[in-house]
Amino acid sequence: MQSSPSATENTKYQKEYCEHHAECLKKIQAVLDGGATEDEKDHFRKNMDHCLHCIKMYHLEKCVKESLQSKIDKRLCPDNLVATIKAKLNI
Amino acid sequence: MSVIMSEEIEEIPLAASETSYSDTERNDIFNREFMPHINSMYNFAFRLTMDEDDANDLVQDTYLKAFRFISSFERGTNAKAWLFRILKNSFINDYRKRSKEPSKVDYQEVETTYNSEEAAEVDHTTDLRVETVQDMIGDEVATALNSLPVDFRTVIILCDIEGFTYEEMAKILDIPIGTVRSRLHRARNLLKDKLRTYAASMGYDTDEE
Repeated sequence: MQSSPSATENTKYQKEYCEHHAECLKKIQAVLDGGATEDEKDHFRKNMDHCLHCIKMYHLEKCVKESLQSKIDKRLCPDNLVATIKAKLNI
Repeated sequence: MSVIMSEEIEEIPLAASETSYSDTERNDIFNREFMPHINSMYNFAFRLTMDEDDANDLVQDTYLKAFRFISSFERGTNAKAWLFRILKNSFINDYRKRSKEPSKVDYQEVETTYNSEEAAEVDHTTDLRVETVQDMIGDEVATALNSLPVDFRTVIILCDIEGFTYEEMAKILDIPIGTVRSRLHRARNLLKDKLRTYAASMGYDTDEE
């Protein structure tokens, strides 16, 4: 359900600072992780309509998550380790 | 902070009932359900131990244990999460004690510290910009991740790199889902602190608009 709000395309944002930012951040992370409850998704959708601060947090969290997924090298298992395991198990 | 650790952790996830597999079935499960995850397992082991030799040993030990206790695995269930749990427990029981990493932190102590500071939680949006993170190369992000205490590093690896759900992470780590979420939240705040500090030291543009 992730929408991708853009602060530049919409002029109805009013809140520059979110006094509940710590709690909102947890909900934003849950949405990005795909683990948000319906209430959290609802809260997220509403906030994305009017809270500039939450929108900034959303974009930063999304960017950090995507950087972790795409930029860090995945170490591949050495072929000889696979061979060693199979040899030890005789399979 | 106090040095961990307590009793040994039960390494093999308990099944509701054990299954008696034939030799052919055991080999088939091992090859078709366990082996496809070996690259993810190795990557996880490397990110935990930060050492190729230790990662080799940890993955080998995990796969040998998985085969030995294969009757505890229910065919067709989530093999990846089952294997990750064995690997994580083996790491705690066997490797963490002799790890080259200098300081080990106590989960509970760290979480208590962060809980006590939660009321005055730092707002991480004001001093780390999306563009700054986008400009960073993989090694810079990896260095920040590797600098986190292993318990926080673990949840980020499981969630953001391996894509496990909260429910799967709760099973792998043997903690409630609420603890998974709070630990992830704190881990990410720490990671952003590291990225922000690194960005400032490297002269990346910070959010002083």
